This record gives sequence, C-alpha cells and structure tokens, in this order.
Amino acid sequence: MPDTSALASEAVRFQAVGKTFPTRPHPLRAVESVSFSVRRGEFVSILGPSGCGKSTLLMMAAGLETPTEGRLERGGVALEGPHRQTGVMFQDATLLPWLSVLDNVLFPAVIRHIPRAKVLDQAMRLIETVGLKGFEHSRPHELSGGMRQRAAICRALVLDPDLLLMDEPFSALDAITRDEMGDVLLDLWQHTHKSAIFVTHSIREAVLLADRVLVMSRRPATVAEELVVPFPRPRSPALADTAEFAALVAHLRGVIARSMAA
Amino acid sequence: MRAALGSALGSAATSLLAVAAMVAAWEGLVRGLPVSPDLLAPPSAVLEALLRHPDILLEHGLATARETALGFVLACLAGVVPGALLSTSALLRRVAMPWVLALQIVPKMALAPLFVVWLGVGAPCRMAFAVFIAFFPVLIGTTAGLAGTDSGALRLCRVLGASWWQTVLWVRLPYAVPQLLAGMKTAATMALLGVVIGEFVTAQQGLGYVVMFAASLGETALVLAAIVLLCGIGLVLYGAVLLAELGFARWYGAPMPAGEFG
Repeated sequence: MPDTSALASEAVRFQAVGKTFPTRPHPLRAVESVSFSVRRGEFVSILGPSGCGKSTLLMMAAGLETPTEGRLERGGVALEGPHRQTGVMFQDATLLPWLSVLDNVLFPAVIRHIPRAKVLDQAMRLIETVGLKGFEHSRPHELSGGMRQRAAICRALVLDPDLLLMDEPFSALDAITRDEMGDVLLDLWQHTHKSAIFVTHSIREAVLLADRVLVMSRRPATVAEELVVPFPRPRSPALADTAEFAALVAHLRGVIARSMAA
Repeated sequence: MRAALGSALGSAATSLLAVAAMVAAWEGLVRGLPVSPDLLAPPSAVLEALLRHPDILLEHGLATARETALGFVLACLAGVVPGALLSTSALLRRVAMPWVLALQIVPKMALAPLFVVWLGVGAPCRMAFAVFIAFFPVLIGTTAGLAGTDSGALRLCRVLGASWWQTVLWVRLPYAVPQLLAGMKTAATMALLGVVIGEFVTAQQGLGYVVMFAASLGETALVLAAIVLLCGIGLVLYGAVLLAELGFARWYGAPMPAGEFG
C-alpha cells in the first residue's frame, strides 16, 4: 500500500464526527457533529468544561474509540484503530511500577519489537530535555507527580511520532508544577514541530501552547468557537505575563461562559 | 541499614525467647501438676521420642515432605492454568465458577475416602487430595490478579498496539504476581493439610500415619514428635514461598499493590 500520509497536508481531520455511547437506560450523546482538522506541524488546543466530551474526541483521534457518525482521517486515510505514528499522553502517567524511568520510556520500542540500541539515544536525549537526567534508573514511585508526567512525555515521543495527543496531561498536578510542565512541553514542541492535539481546561495552557484553540460546548460537544492564537513563535513562558496574553485569556473566558450558558 | 538489621535480630531474639519460655512453662506444668505423661508429654519426652525413633521419623517425614512438595507444585499448576483461562473469558467464568464454588462449599475432608476408592491407598491418592484441597486459593489469586490489572496500563497497551500475548506478558502477569503469591502461601499450608488427611485415611506411611499409629498405642510423646516435624515441613514450604515473594518485591521495586508479608 502506498504511503499517502506524506502527501496529506492534514495530520488529522474530523468530518461531522459524532459519538453516542450505548449506555442504559438512556444512550449518552458525547460528541455532536464535530468538524475540524489539524495541519501538519500545528498545535491545536481543545478547551472546554469538565465532562463535555473533549476527552472522547481525543480517544477517537487515538483510535481507542470509534465514531458512531462521520469520518475520521489520519494523514488522509480513514483511521481504524491505534496508529503507529501517534504518541498519546493521558491524565495519569501510567508508568509500569517495576520498570525504571528509562525502561518505561523504552517500553513502546519493546512492544513494537524495535531493538533497544536503535532508540536508546533518542530516549536519553528526551530524558535530558525534560530534565530527568540522573533519574534514568529510578523507579516511578521514587519520583514526584511532575517527574512521572515528564517520563510519560518522553515515552509518548520516543518513537518519534508525527502526532502527539494529550488528554489533560497536567490536570493531576499542583498549580506550580502544572505551569512548569506547560513550559517543558512548549520548549519540547518548539524543537520538534509535531502535530498536536492538547485537551485541557486550563486557558493559560491552551493559549500558551497552541496555534489554534477550539472551545467546546457543553455535552454533547460541538465546536463553539475557534480562535487563532496570534503570538509568534518561538514563544517563551514569559508571554503568559503580558497584557495581550491576559486579554486573550479574558476573551476566551467570556466565550466559555457564553457557551456554557447557551 | 545497620540499625534495621539490629532491630530485626532483636525481634527475632524476642520471638525465640517467647518460644523458649512457653516450652519451659509446658515442661514445668507437666512435671509440677499431677498430669499423666501419657495425656500430655513434656517437651523433654518429645525430644527423647525424636531421638529414640530417628529412622522411623525420618522415613515417614521424608515421605510426607516429598508428597507435600509435589502436591504443592501440582496445586499451583492446577490453580494457575485454569485461573488464567478463566480470566480470558467471561463466558467461561459464568459456566465454571458455580462448579468451582460448589466444590469449595463441600466439606472437603468428607471426600477423602472417595479418593481412596478412586486412586487406592498409595502416594497418588494423597497427592491428589492435597492438590484438591490446595489449588483453590491459587486459582482465585490468579484470576483476581489478572483481572486487577491497572486499567491505565491496559489502555497504554492498546495505544501502542500491543498483542494479546504482549499485554499478558508485560503488564497483566506482573500486576497479578502479588495476589498469585498470596494464594500460593495459603496453598502451601493447605497442601500439607491435604497430605496429612490423606495419610490418616490411607494409613500406609507418612507422619500423619505415625500420629494415628502412635496415638492408638498411647504414645503421646511420639505423636507430638511427629507434629513437631510436620510443623517443620510446613514452615520450610511457607518460607520458600515467602522468599519468592521477597525476591519479587525486590524486583518490583515499589510498594506492592496487594499481598502482605507474613
């Protein structure tokens, strides 16, 4: 089969995608006719209230859930199940407790039968970039929550995917660690320029990291508003302290309030 | 490290002192009170019986130890294999679990004579009965352990496209081991119980046979000597499982989610 993914300019495309869970007694409508796409190298944040169905969107993009309506494309081809070139991060780090940090980062290579020697350099480079150097041989329980999530970032990136999906990856962390992790991710992403979908309910995170922010409505989730973030790259975390940034955050807060009231 | 070792030695010394005090009190009571040594032999008489019949006790002790060890190993196999099978299919569980539970509710000792009818009075009968009595905790430990895998880790496996075998080998099994070991500890004591009951009903050889035989002759000291040896066999087997558990805990490198250290 020819690899058409290189020709497609879009990493992911949602076309009128809907999702209903067959729960009882009433089926749960989680996503309502969502259409958007993520260009190659684009960072899109999905912002919305808790429980609005934005995680379901991401699980569909990861191939873990199938849409009940519409079409979902990955690199121009219909997506069926988890994709080899996709890295995923969840709310929890989900590191395997009996493996060291390095072995956890290398775990995807084990599953894909890729020789350790081939990915070891990449793993060590990532571990250094996120500031975990010196902790390669520590076990997860010896690390703080933030450090575990750093290891999870490395694991998501170790096989050099072209799309990174993140489902509220920092929401289990305290506020200070959370901002710090946002900065780590910003730095990492600006060096790699992968496509990314980042689900969050933090407006600061969404704006600082993204080229484009999609604001979701309450459940069932639809795209209530789309906003292009005008700040040039490379961005620094200091951007978040500027008046322009604050104005955009305030604007988005208003949009979310309106979409909640609607 | 040194302090920990010191306190461990200290608590071991305390336990040994308590045992010594008990033995001394027992000796004193039997000598001081008008109790016939035929009813309750003093420890000195038990020691004397041990030294007087070393050949008999060694021969029967070895038989019991051999059958218990084999019975335990077979019980582990008889628990792990069906337990793993049961965990793969809800249908299988629905079909098989009522039978497994019904077998547990039957007072198992009552079935011992049936084993003699089926298998005769030799070692196969005693070992089969030991397996019958001991496999259940291993089976439950296996199914519970395999079912209790961290759901996040399973989702990670799906994202990475892990095969069923990879998921079992890399994630489900390690998560299941603590509960499996807890089941094996119970099985270790049950296997010995099964062999002794088998020796009671087959009346051919083994320490259980020595107990019955000596009791019928009123040789209380010999009964107690055989029981002391039975304790020793049980302790060695239990200790072996405990060592395996400690080895696993060291490999696991983190506080284990289940299974306690005895």
